[in-house]
Amino acid sequence: MAILEGRNLRKTYHLGRGNKVEALKSVDISIEAGEMVAIMGPSGSGKSTLMHILGLLHGPDYKCPDPSDPCPAPELYLAGDSVSTISDNQRTRIRARRMGFVFQDFNLVPTLTAMENVMLACDYAGTKGKQARVAALDALELVGLGGRAAHRPAELSGGEQQRVAIARALVNKPEITLADEPTGNLDSEHSAEILALLRSFNREHGQTVVLVTHDAEVGSACDRVIRMRDGHIRDHGYGDGVTNGAPVMAVPAVAASA
Amino acid sequence: MRLIRDLGRRKLRSTLTISGIAIGIMALVVFGSMANKMNALIDGGSQYYADKAVVSVGNMYTGSFQPLSLSADLEQIRNVEGVAAATPSIEMMLNDDEAATMGVPEMISGFVPDGDKGLETFEINVAQGRMLTADDHGNVAVLGCDLARRLDASVGDTVVLRKTEFAVIGILAPTLTAPDKEAMVPLDAAQQLFVKTLPPMLQDKVDATDIATGITVYHEPGVTPEDLKANLEAALGDSFTVMIGKDFDEMLGTFSAIFSLVLTGIAMLSLLVGGLSTINTMAMSVAERTREIGIKRAIGASRWRIRREIVMESAAIGLIAGAIGLAIGAVMTTVFNDLGRSSGNVLFDLTLGTAVTAVAFATGLGAIAGFVPAWGASRMDPVAALRYE
Repeated sequence: MAILEGRNLRKTYHLGRGNKVEALKSVDISIEAGEMVAIMGPSGSGKSTLMHILGLLHGPDYKCPDPSDPCPAPELYLAGDSVSTISDNQRTRIRARRMGFVFQDFNLVPTLTAMENVMLACDYAGTKGKQARVAALDALELVGLGGRAAHRPAELSGGEQQRVAIARALVNKPEITLADEPTGNLDSEHSAEILALLRSFNREHGQTVVLVTHDAEVGSACDRVIRMRDGHIRDHGYGDGVTNGAPVMAVPAVAASA
Repeated sequence: MRLIRDLGRRKLRSTLTISGIAIGIMALVVFGSMANKMNALIDGGSQYYADKAVVSVGNMYTGSFQPLSLSADLEQIRNVEGVAAATPSIEMMLNDDEAATMGVPEMISGFVPDGDKGLETFEINVAQGRMLTADDHGNVAVLGCDLARRLDASVGDTVVLRKTEFAVIGILAPTLTAPDKEAMVPLDAAQQLFVKTLPPMLQDKVDATDIATGITVYHEPGVTPEDLKANLEAALGDSFTVMIGKDFDEMLGTFSAIFSLVLTGIAMLSLLVGGLSTINTMAMSVAERTREIGIKRAIGASRWRIRREIVMESAAIGLIAGAIGLAIGAVMTTVFNDLGRSSGNVLFDLTLGTAVTAVAFATGLGAIAGFVPAWGASRMDPVAALRYE
């Protein structure tokens, strides 16, 4: 079953003075539950934009790029429920409770300790007090940082910071983890570590992982690679990683509305 | 705790903002305390004059003042319609050179203890010793609490009032108004002191036992102070001044209004300066934390959470500033009161109400100032905020 399914996803950024960038040109995508998928492509290919829409950080465009040329309305489903028209509060709630996020620049709150950073996610998901502390410490131990819980981000190495970010993304045991270039700022040794962590959660908890990457090695470690170029999905391929589910249904690349 | 840590991230800016508000709050506390003292004084006077009329000739502060005659004027007043009781009194400055004090000057008040026939409603209690009675004559005195403190006198001591020795028989409990700075003496003693203040030529011609500076008139039940005043003025003619509660309130109401205006002005000024500088501080801190807000929004913080966080931080700035301002203000009023006490000038009364109002005002100011940047922060696009460098 598809946990995330999108159709006719478009996004145009207006940079002012009539200058606009069509980051995403009508994309159809389907991510199966339990899959670990890499979205790859050169800079500007729309891969981050796609991830932001799948992660409910941005809504897809309803307006058509050319007003004189009608286009189908975008659709987005999370585990079968339509999420394309829900309110900002509902999106926020889904992000807090059902999704985990990992970013390239680690993106921890600098004034908070590792533990507090992880607990922030618990707090937003509605877990408080002792329960949150236990969950946060468990998550930190899982990423091998139980002993660094009281350290601030500035006192941790890049690899350690990214592991804290992963602990934060996983502490609420979300259905989906979305990672934007999670290994982009790490050397190959630490990249492998991070990837192994994401993979182990994917295997052990059946968690769906969607990651955006430049790195072909990272892509090949995933179940499936979605290649993007110029705002379109170019093709799908299977990585070297072993799928843990049924064969993934191939979604046809949508041609430009030429 | 997190809040304090966030404030600590920008020590200089937070300190400056806090100082700005603290100074405003300090001014508020000091002037508020002064207003408390003034208002207590005025309220006391207003209460004192509420149920009576005081008759005098001329004005003792402008020098046009003349003594009244007991045998002529008092008898005439007693016969006016609606008068239940009339009793003479002598009010005079304790020190002639004390005209330039703030608040009320120290006074000697001579009166006939049972002259009110039980109609006086202004309550004066004795803290030590006893009150004057009708049997007291000559040089005995009951001192107001401030005056007793200044003279360092207690019951049984002898004090010198206008070069005459008086035995202290009682000390009053604080009234927060004029009697605190009064020496109450029997009428005959005050008459003797008063005669000595007249020019030598006049001294021989005046019968000391026949004079008063004012006559306090109590009305019969059912007669309003306004009626009493009208009756007295009709009977006595233009040369007499009749003052009732309403006149007193009108006279000092202006004073009180000016004071309130000054206080409100200071409050508004500190509101403006403190509020703007808090908005500035919080807006800069929001700009610096754009990325952090983006992270928080991305991982599931609602707009409401972001707003609350910023408003709370801003309110904390206000609370800290309010507490500091209050502390400095409290020290200042205490020091000024201690310095002034020896000369009888206790000008400040820092009440719990003023203290709580000042801190609450500062906290509210901070919170309101936080709303502006908080609103902006909560509307940021999380993706754009994440990319912000």
